[in-house]
Amino acid sequence: MTIHSLIESQYAAQAKFFEHSSSFQQLESGKAPVEFYDQFIANLCQTHLKSPQILAFLYAVSPPEAAPQIRHNMLEELGLDEAGISHPGLLYQLAAAAGFDETAQAELTRAAQEQLRVMCTDPLMFGTIKELGLSILLEVTCFEWMLSRLSSRIGKALETHRQLSPNHLEWFYHHSEVDIRHAEEGLLSVAHYVDYYEIDPSELEAILDITFRENIFIKRYFGAIALATETQMMEPMA
Amino acid sequence: MRIIEATLFALRIPFIEAFAHSIKSRTYSDSIVVRLKASDGTVGYGEAVARPYVTGETVESCLEFMADTLWAAVRQADYSTAPLDLESSLDWLKAIAATLPAGTSDTVVAWNAARTGFELALVDCLLKSQQRSLGELLPPQRSLITYSGVITSSTVESAAKNARRFKQLGISQLKVKVTGENDRDRIAAIREVVGDDLSLRIDGNGVYSVQSAIAACQTLAEFKIDSAEQMISRGNPADLAAVRSASPIPQMADESLITLEDAQALIAAKACQFFNLRISKCGGLAHTIAIAQLAQASGIRLQVGCQVGETAILSAAGRHLAAWLPEVVFAEGSYGTLLLSEDVSRTSIHFGHRGQAKVLTRPGLGVDVKDAVLEKYAHQTINLATASVPGLG
Repeated sequence: MTIHSLIESQYAAQAKFFEHSSSFQQLESGKAPVEFYDQFIANLCQTHLKSPQILAFLYAVSPPEAAPQIRHNMLEELGLDEAGISHPGLLYQLAAAAGFDETAQAELTRAAQEQLRVMCTDPLMFGTIKELGLSILLEVTCFEWMLSRLSSRIGKALETHRQLSPNHLEWFYHHSEVDIRHAEEGLLSVAHYVDYYEIDPSELEAILDITFRENIFIKRYFGAIALATETQMMEPMA
Repeated sequence: MRIIEATLFALRIPFIEAFAHSIKSRTYSDSIVVRLKASDGTVGYGEAVARPYVTGETVESCLEFMADTLWAAVRQADYSTAPLDLESSLDWLKAIAATLPAGTSDTVVAWNAARTGFELALVDCLLKSQQRSLGELLPPQRSLITYSGVITSSTVESAAKNARRFKQLGISQLKVKVTGENDRDRIAAIREVVGDDLSLRIDGNGVYSVQSAIAACQTLAEFKIDSAEQMISRGNPADLAAVRSASPIPQMADESLITLEDAQALIAAKACQFFNLRISKCGGLAHTIAIAQLAQASGIRLQVGCQVGETAILSAAGRHLAAWLPEVVFAEGSYGTLLLSEDVSRTSIHFGHRGQAKVLTRPGLGVDVKDAVLEKYAHQTINLATASVPGLG
């Protein structure tokens, strides 16, 4: 199995599990209460508001062959590329449309910042930045892979069942377009990274296994309890 | 100073992956967190992990004992009569523990988990009120603690996969849960993955008979096993001594070691070479230290163990103990979010690369507990300031 297909098979497994999860199906079904959609929007915003910082880290560790693409993604995220669309701006636009007032939006910012603080204070499990960088690159590119396939559906679900206008859902529709390109470029970046840092196949396999121990999408978008219920680790809490 | 309020949180924090051994498979933490508030407003946290097959305590009976017996004693005690003196820190810990009734029961060996929950909360609270760290009472003998990884009972393939993970994370000591089925294949696969330099030990959780324990140890000895923990069930120390005398692998007592009397009996019978000290199992810091001192005076080597699913609170207490004891051969615990979906502390204290973790220096036990996390994962909350009967809230 090539590196490309090994990694893509992991991404596909993560995305498939997410797509078939009861949480995702609830989102698309329209049977969930408004609070469910709003919690999803809050979780999604917290997850992606920190993308510029994470891409900046990846840019710092990226090999020469992948650096221009990651730099472009980072500038695109910040709205500093030719398109000029700030992605955090799109997330705040989404939150505002869903009724998050200034205080609630400030709380989203604080929560995202807190997640960055946790990332920085968590003891490092890997022995080198090389391994940490690969793990983060895998997670980021896995998100891009999934969003290129599912973000339109998520946007549509919020449009239909949360009555948000397409204008306010640009983050999803924008991602479905740009991430088709990002997803392919991402797989290439990982291959460059593995090659540049001379990561051997068993090391790559172990880092893939550690990175994708949990379903990253359900955990980030729906929370730990939803994931535990999905994986039969726990009965739903009353 | 008096304790004016207590809240018990019976938690269910999901694990990232199931954790199985020969007796039980767990998919979530069922810790009980005790939150105490002192008359000066200081808040402290302790943790109890009830294990029916160890001390006989269940989550329900533990909550009941805490509410009916321990809280009744703690709310009456005046903790200003036990002033903190760094020169006699062990006496101070003993004085705190002495305010907690031992209780009696036909079904419980000792109310050790329950007492640990309250003892740690008292220690955390009283030290925080003076801005002192437990590390000042128990000065560390080392700056870094090295923790072991644990491989749960599973298929050969899964065990090898876990071993690869731990190897990637630089872990230098591994404990493997053995069950009497496929032990040899699993240990062989793990040894092949990790190579010869990594320390391996096994844990039977009491599933073997004396004869089968001896046979298992003889079979597995070729894989360079450093210790075999609780191969037979808790019972007559002479049985464990029989395993010890016929086994090529050093024996470690775990479930057989709950009380100080157990420790004395095990030493007298020459039943084992190692003790596994677990704070929640042994009844808190003061009792665990008493057992440790007895062990070290008798040439018994020590492992500072943990409870599967413990949160940062018990892990912090274990860290202080492992740092303070003169000689610790193995340490377990501090898995935090490596096992739990979310931990209760603001800053993670799980171990890092190579299983290493620094000593804790912040006031009390050294962790800032997030009430929001306790509330999020509590399936039962009992406020003892306003109610004394479990089940309310």
